Amino acid sequence: MSEFAYMGLVEAGERIRARRISSVELTSALLARIESLQPRFHAFIKVVPDEALASARKADAEIARGIWKGPLHGVPYALKDIIDFAGVPTTCHSKILTDNIATAHAGVTERLEAAGGVFLGKLATHEFAIGGPSFDLPWPPAVNPWGGAHFPGGSSSGSGVALAAGLVPAALGTDTGGSVRNPASMCAIVGMKPTYGLVSRRGVFPLSYSLDHVGPMTRTVRDNAALLKILAGYDPLDPGSADIAVPDYSSGLGRGVAGLRVGLVRHFYDKDDRAHPEQIAAIDAAADILKRLGADVREISLAPAQDYATCCRIIIRAEAYAIHRKWLRERPEDYGDICRSRMLDGATVSAADYIDALRLRARLTASTLAAFETIDVALTSSSLDPPCRLDDVEAVQRAYPRQSRQPFNVTGQPALAMPAGFTKDGLPLSLQIVGKPFDEAMVYRVAAAYEQATGWTSRRPPGI
Amino acid sequence: MTDDELKHVAASQGLLRLAERHMAQLAAGARANARLVEQLPKDLHWSEESALVFRLPIPEERRR
Repeated sequence: MSEFAYMGLVEAGERIRARRISSVELTSALLARIESLQPRFHAFIKVVPDEALASARKADAEIARGIWKGPLHGVPYALKDIIDFAGVPTTCHSKILTDNIATAHAGVTERLEAAGGVFLGKLATHEFAIGGPSFDLPWPPAVNPWGGAHFPGGSSSGSGVALAAGLVPAALGTDTGGSVRNPASMCAIVGMKPTYGLVSRRGVFPLSYSLDHVGPMTRTVRDNAALLKILAGYDPLDPGSADIAVPDYSSGLGRGVAGLRVGLVRHFYDKDDRAHPEQIAAIDAAADILKRLGADVREISLAPAQDYATCCRIIIRAEAYAIHRKWLRERPEDYGDICRSRMLDGATVSAADYIDALRLRARLTASTLAAFETIDVALTSSSLDPPCRLDDVEAVQRAYPRQSRQPFNVTGQPALAMPAGFTKDGLPLSLQIVGKPFDEAMVYRVAAAYEQATGWTSRRPPGI
Repeated sequence: MTDDELKHVAASQGLLRLAERHMAQLAAGARANARLVEQLPKDLHWSEESALVFRLPIPEERRR
C-alpha cells in the first residue's frame, strides 16, 4: 500500500508546504489507487485526472515560489456529486441529470479552490441524496471497504467509502436527515454536520431547503476541524447563511475534557428504540472514557427520538416533492425505484401538515436548546446498528430509520459522528457528539479527547 | 385512501405519467404520511409560529 493512501489532510499539507513531498506525487499516488480500487468500491462517479494533475503542478509551483494558501494547498479532495464544480457534470447519481454540466462552482467549491485544494472528482451518492442504495441507476452504489460487501451508509456514501479506502484525505458530504453522519458511522471515519447556516449551500442540489447542510468528512478529528475552517463563512447568496465570525476550530484540540459537562442522551438508543447490543456497549464505554478523562457525564432527556423523526420526515417529504414535482410529472420513469418512491411520498403531504411540522420544529428546537443550557455537549448514538450487507435490501431498509441523527437536522445544531469501536466481526460502531449552535469548536475538543484516548480513527479496513 | 381518491390526487398534481407500479408507490406514500401526520402534536396553539419564518435582510447601516 502506498505511504500516501492514508495520509491525512493536515499531515499532507504540512509535508507539501515543507516540500518533503510534492502535490504531484500525492495526487498521482491517489489517482493510481482510485483506478485500482474503483471496480471494487465504486466510490467515484467521475474522476478528473488531467485537471487534478494540472492543479497539483500549479500548487507545487506556487509553494516553490513561497506562496502558501493554507493547510489544503496541494492536497486532494473530492465532492459528493450533488455539489457543483464548474465544467464538470453534477449528476446527483441520477439518470435525470446525467448531462447536467455545472456552469459555476458551488460556494464551498470556491472556498476549497481558493485554499489551493486539488479536485479529484465527484463521489457516489444516493440518488438526489435520498434514494439508495440502488442498483437501477446509471452508476452502481458505493461499497463499504469494511466487510467488503456491506452498506456504507448514505447518502454521502462515496465520500465515506473514498476516505475509508484511502482514496482521498478530504471529502464533502451533505446532511439533510443524517447523510454525512451515516456514512461516517458505517465507514469508521469522522463526519461533521455543522450548524445550519455555517456552511454555504449555494450550488448544492437541494433535497430539503430548511434541513440541508454541507459538511466536512475526513479520517481524523484534526483534519475535520481544519477542513471546516476552510468551508465555514457567510455567503450572501445562500438565504440560510449565517453572518457570524468563524473561529479556529483546531485551537481547542488537545485541551482535554476535564470539567466539561457531557449530557448522555441514553434514551435515544436504549428506550425510544433499542440499538444493537455492541453499539449500546460502545457508547456506554465512551461515556466511561470521558468520565475517566475528567468530564462530568450525566444522563439528560430530550424529546423522544420519534418526535424529531416525524417532524423531519414531513418537512423533507414536502420540500423534496416541491423540488422534484416537475420531473415526477414529466419523466417519472427516469428515477430509480427507491428515489421515485420517496419523492412521491411528498405528493400527499398537505400544506397544513407541513406547516404544523415546522411549528413542531420550533417547539422541539426550543426544548432541546433549553436542555443544552446545562451541558457543554451531548453524547449519544448515531446509527443504532453496525453495517448490514449491501445486497440485503430488507436489512438496509430496516436500518434506514434506526438512527439518532435527525434530531439535530431539526434543531440545526452541530453534530459529529465518529468511530466508537468495532463489532466482534470487525464492523464499525459509532457515536455522535452534539454541540450548542455555532459551537463546533467544543464538539471537536471533546471528539479529539475521545479519539486520542481510543485510537479508533487510526484503524484501517483489512485487505486493501 | 381509495384507488379513485388516489387517482384524483395524482391528476390534481399533474402526475399523469405514473405507471401502475408508480401508483402503488404513491399509495404506500399516502399510507405512510397518514401515519406520520397522526403523530404530529394535537395541542399546537395558534401562537406557536413555525420555524424559519420569512425574514427580510437588514440594511447594513441598521445592523447592530
